[in-house]
Amino acid sequence: MKPNVLAKKIGFYTLIIIAWQGIDSAEIWPDNIFPSPFEVLEDLAYGISDASLFFGIGTSLLRLVIGLGIAIAGGLVLGIFMARVETVNQTIGSLVLGLQSIPSIAWVPLAILWFGLTDSGIIFVTAIGAIFAVTINTYTGVKNINPSYIEAARNMGAKEGQLIITVLIPAAFPYIISGFKQGWAFAWRGVIGAELLFSFLGLGFLLNVGRQLNDVSQVIAIMIVIMGIGILVDGVVFKRIEDKVMTRWGLR
Amino acid sequence: MGKLEAKNIEKYFKHDGKQLKTLDGINLNVNDGEFVCIVGTSGCGKSTFLRTIAGLETPDSGKILLDGQPLSDTGPDRIMVFQEGALFPWLNVRDNVEYGLKVAGIPKEKRNEISHRYLDMMQLTQFATSYTYQLSTGMKQRVAIARALVMEPDVLLMDEPFAALDPQTRDLLLVEMQLIWQKTKKTIIFVTHNVAEAVVLGTRVLVFSHRPAKIKKEVEIDYQRPRLTDDENLLPYQKKILAELRPEVKK
Repeated sequence: MKPNVLAKKIGFYTLIIIAWQGIDSAEIWPDNIFPSPFEVLEDLAYGISDASLFFGIGTSLLRLVIGLGIAIAGGLVLGIFMARVETVNQTIGSLVLGLQSIPSIAWVPLAILWFGLTDSGIIFVTAIGAIFAVTINTYTGVKNINPSYIEAARNMGAKEGQLIITVLIPAAFPYIISGFKQGWAFAWRGVIGAELLFSFLGLGFLLNVGRQLNDVSQVIAIMIVIMGIGILVDGVVFKRIEDKVMTRWGLR
Repeated sequence: MGKLEAKNIEKYFKHDGKQLKTLDGINLNVNDGEFVCIVGTSGCGKSTFLRTIAGLETPDSGKILLDGQPLSDTGPDRIMVFQEGALFPWLNVRDNVEYGLKVAGIPKEKRNEISHRYLDMMQLTQFATSYTYQLSTGMKQRVAIARALVMEPDVLLMDEPFAALDPQTRDLLLVEMQLIWQKTKKTIIFVTHNVAEAVVLGTRVLVFSHRPAKIKKEVEIDYQRPRLTDDENLLPYQKKILAELRPEVKK
């Protein structure tokens, strides 16, 4: 990040905190409704000191990784299949578009009925929320591959299986990585949402505990953590991969 | 019997619901070690003919024979060099060159040994770990040629590989291409719309008529190598071919 961009950002967030503290000092609302930034910070510090926060983050991220992993594997297979076999696209493809419009939280009742209040239920919601974004992006990516790549590979003797691994997936990778990014965003929303309703460990669970204890500063602290992880994954992990892919694939 | 034979190749394309004849019963016999150039106007069907030989298009009638054996699908016995190279941007130069060897299941050490030889021949050794976005158009075409040569194909098919190059780079590659041909004794079929290029490279130049494509004229070019594009002794050949092509442009 350029120094002046960083300075702007630091300035902006400092302003927010000052304004926040200002409103708190004006004592318009009682502290159990509108906590000060220090109370929220205190709560974060407490969560760090007794490690409950790390346990919550770890639990949520583990579910996310498993759910997203399933979504990525399934989405890749489905997307490639749809792109290579027209009948699959005409049939399953239409269903995928329909399913994509269901918010992941709407899968929760079904997940509870099928899996009970278990980890598997939360992972199911996470995976199903992300899989169709991966599928659609993979499909689009494979469909947009320069036909010469496929012809060259077949000409050099690649069979269909080798073609998928050595050409289709890498050639479609700029699209596939957007699919992963979208999938991650859906999965992150899905896992937190499911945890709220399953009330079974994780950051969503901690949010719920905060509500039950009427502890507004805990609720806000956890929300800040959820946002922070979102920024970290989007802005650091995916941005780096995307930058590298865009350069190497000659897209910029 | 030639190395590669095309027998009465016909090909139609659908255009606005009508069947449009593209290849009009082409017969061709290419001998082992020949360097055959095909010239024709843009869109005349010469590339379609080359793609048919490569097995990337299926003819509507007729057949392609390699050493007398009929061919159906595409395969590494006829390697194609594409106009824009079609190099894989996710692989570095060496991995691009080794691609065909890898899918053939050749072990890494052997692959490295073979690719090293051809990278050296194409003067690419120092670019072995570069990616395509770091290469000029001329370099990319060198890689594309190296990638084709490692397969040691029976026939090398080249589809206007130098069309996008600047004249200086092209002249250089035209000389190198002749040296490669002399060194490897490959059978080459080279498609171009550039008459000077065809005359410099070919042992024989075939002039294609405009759609539907037919071999209109064959010109044997018996002249010392390496030939240069500005060699005045080649001008009569060029004139002869241009005289055949000119009416086709107007079609």
